[in-house]
Amino acid sequence: MADERDPSAERFERYLDALLAGGRPSPDDVESGDEAEMARLAAELAGAVGPESADPDPAFIEQLRLRMRAADAGMAAVRVPPPVRDRSAEPAGSRPWRLSRRQLLQGGIGAAAGLAAGLVGVAITPRTPREAPTLGGPDDLVAGDGYWVEVGRLDDLPPGTATRFSTAAFDGFVVNDAGEVRALSSVCTHMGCTLHYRPEWQDLRCPCHGASFDLAGRLANGRRTWRENPYRGDARAYPIELPDLVRPRVKVEDGVILVWTAQA
Amino acid sequence: MSTGPGRFEQVYAAHVVGIYRFVYARVGNRPDAEDLTAQVFVRAVEQLDTDRAPGQIAAWLYRVAQNAIADYWRAFYRLPVVGVDHVAPGWEPADDAAQRASVPDDGATIRVQALLRTLPDRYRRVLELRFLQRMSVAETAQAMGITSGNAKVLQYRALRKAALMSETTDG
Repeated sequence: MADERDPSAERFERYLDALLAGGRPSPDDVESGDEAEMARLAAELAGAVGPESADPDPAFIEQLRLRMRAADAGMAAVRVPPPVRDRSAEPAGSRPWRLSRRQLLQGGIGAAAGLAAGLVGVAITPRTPREAPTLGGPDDLVAGDGYWVEVGRLDDLPPGTATRFSTAAFDGFVVNDAGEVRALSSVCTHMGCTLHYRPEWQDLRCPCHGASFDLAGRLANGRRTWRENPYRGDARAYPIELPDLVRPRVKVEDGVILVWTAQA
Repeated sequence: MSTGPGRFEQVYAAHVVGIYRFVYARVGNRPDAEDLTAQVFVRAVEQLDTDRAPGQIAAWLYRVAQNAIADYWRAFYRLPVVGVDHVAPGWEPADDAAQRASVPDDGATIRVQALLRTLPDRYRRVLELRFLQRMSVAETAQAMGITSGNAKVLQYRALRKAALMSETTDG
């Protein structure tokens, strides 16, 4: 037959391509109605006859088990009602965020451990364009008792670099974003995997499902941001929105970088 | 209460592989299957009463999984997503959910294979090359002696035909 090109078939191939490559297919490549039925059938077909085993990855099972154990053990700590940010202080039009028990659980082991260690009152900021306050800013973490911990020297953190740090209550990165120093949690807000820093993309990347967070702690490759500004690092958008990374307070004194950590 | 540390982990260990297989057979890819499996157990750690009978626990988990899968597909149908929290899963093992729990490798596989067999030759061939042998569009086109554009159109029509047949056989 003659070469034919059909826009629907071309678009639908993007769905199939992601599915058959073992990736995460996007509803954006599928129209509702018949195509949704086709996608569903294709998914069943891929799950039934593909070479990939229907058995889960043991690493996934183990990681989820640890996360569930922490969540189960941390339920008592997590039951403490978290403070809610003053809504009157929200910029107009922004979506107020309540920090629910579920979100805390989804924050993973790090969040649960942080809570158990007394780090209550982490305010997840609304996802609106805003200027990141310099040096963390008191809005991002309303901590109770705590103390400043030295995590490195500014000389060792030139612009465009990041360093891992670990305190009694917290694991994270300090980053130098074009001269502005910030501290960010290294725990992905999706499933609690540990992020790694990619200097070439200036982001914190999750090895589990490919979420990328910018150096202000916001999801950088979500669908919403994708439309305005296709993310250079990926072929397609991350399919769901995620809360921002937790950002403890940070300051620089006499060339020493200090991060506020909750009393353990 | 026997809901102390360890009890939930036993429930997890007993069901996580079954739930994963159940989800995987319906979404066909690993990242989404892992996400939905995690969703089921996140809800379970919050809400599941681990003192219930084993059959009831299984029924509860598979219902939550079913709801999570339904929500996943709602996004493709452009229907409002309900959210896994907003549907009461119920405890009754009376329906097929409990049966599925004991037979995780269920009818989905058999159904799609039967469907493949009833398709016209060229439709079946293009789907076998892509799904069974995991050939790319270009490789599939080469194997069938057609252009890549033709292969995309052919697989599109094959899936549409199969989907329509699947709807009618589902009743």
